[in-house]
Amino acid sequence: MTVITIDDLVKRRGSREILSGISFQARPGRVTGFLGPNGAGKSSTLRILLGLDRATSGTALIGSVPFARLPDPLATVGAMLDGSGAHRARTGRAHLRWVARSAGLPRRRVDEVLEVVGLTNAASKRIGGYSLGMGRRLALATALLGDPEILILDEPVNGLDPDGIRWIRTFLRERAASGRTVLLSSHLMGELAETVDDVVIIKEGRVVADGTLEEVTGSHGTLEDAFFALTTGGAP
Amino acid sequence: MRALAAEVAKLVSLPSVWIATAAGVLVPSGIAAINASAARGAITRGARATAGADLGYQELAFGVVGVIILGVVAISSEYVTESAESGGGRQITTSLTAVPSRLRFLLAKASAVAIAGASLAIVAGAATMSAVRVVLGEHAPPLGTDDVPRLAGVVCYWVCAALLAFAITVLTRHGVVPLAVLIANTSVVSVTYLLTKITPLANYLPDLAGAHMFVRTFAGGTVEISPLTGGLVMTAWTTALLTVAAVAFTRRDA
Repeated sequence: MTVITIDDLVKRRGSREILSGISFQARPGRVTGFLGPNGAGKSSTLRILLGLDRATSGTALIGSVPFARLPDPLATVGAMLDGSGAHRARTGRAHLRWVARSAGLPRRRVDEVLEVVGLTNAASKRIGGYSLGMGRRLALATALLGDPEILILDEPVNGLDPDGIRWIRTFLRERAASGRTVLLSSHLMGELAETVDDVVIIKEGRVVADGTLEEVTGSHGTLEDAFFALTTGGAP
Repeated sequence: MRALAAEVAKLVSLPSVWIATAAGVLVPSGIAAINASAARGAITRGARATAGADLGYQELAFGVVGVIILGVVAISSEYVTESAESGGGRQITTSLTAVPSRLRFLLAKASAVAIAGASLAIVAGAATMSAVRVVLGEHAPPLGTDDVPRLAGVVCYWVCAALLAFAITVLTRHGVVPLAVLIANTSVVSVTYLLTKITPLANYLPDLAGAHMFVRTFAGGTVEISPLTGGLVMTAWTTALLTVAAVAFTRRDA
């Protein structure tokens, strides 16, 4: 039920083709790293998967249905996109409270996720005064509200301090170990090699590598070497 | 219902909504108090016999700026982009991952705006009529059964104005332009009123037609519109714009 299946996704904006047939899967119990340089189409793919943007053709499914038809979206998928995803004039707690209300979750969950991401002390401050790292933690808290089976995270380590990066790596490994599905995008290779099980690399809207970490790394030595070899077209 | 509860919670926790509330109550009651004071002076000097049947109502047509702000910020707040240093996110992505059905989301938000608009109209109506009565004292026109449909008209006018502002902002995705245009049209120069000088058809624009629900005498009014017709015309405008907004919103990328 909790496999993510992307099948032949094409997205055109005007005459520009942003995605040219992206296909891959993210499976339960594994952390899937969705990698590519900036502008390769990672965010576009995730936005289509979350029903925010419309694909020109192709499908993106959570289990067997598109995201928009999930009966209880917050309890199925936790999503983290750009920044905090919150209005700057609200407090962190007020933001989480309206999200919790939309899914009929108890107020207690708000305090629990604030605790998990370490924002309890900043919960009564306006989001406009948060640092980038705090905003990202708030976005992660929002994703965790419904204790979802799937996490979809766009550039989760961006803006986090070294402590935060270390923490999120451990956290995501634990989620996968408990049988949940984790899909995360990144353009930072070094941070990811120790976190992911499976790797999908895209370049200019096409998948250029898809497999386990070992398969994709292959003879390149490190994931970083493999990434540059595959995405810059230079010598392997 | 959950989606509606979330939208109400959003409105209540947004500071600009409280500014809208303050404007909605203070603008009409304040202006009504000043006008009532002028009318009282005129009556005691013997310059006029009564305060006029529109005292309070004219001001409530003005006070609609409060719900215009409400309707605009309810949706523009979804599209405010964080600074690049904060990651450049927008709340709309969070909203639509929490409530993925575009239509359900928009319906919940419009309902929250309508409920808030009606509540604000009731409070502002009470405050404005009280201000008139406090200032005029014995010279105040008595409130009778005649005023019930007129005050209901005020509530209807405010709810429609809030939803019109909301629908326009769904289309623009940005609050500044609709806010400036709609507030200027209500308070500074009524473009719709000036248009009536060119064509009588302009009397059927939503703000002018809708005001016939509760304002009795129009300066230089060129067309007779009954309160019921006025209400129906404004409701039709509101429904049409909400429909256009819903079609655009469900089709485009968030």
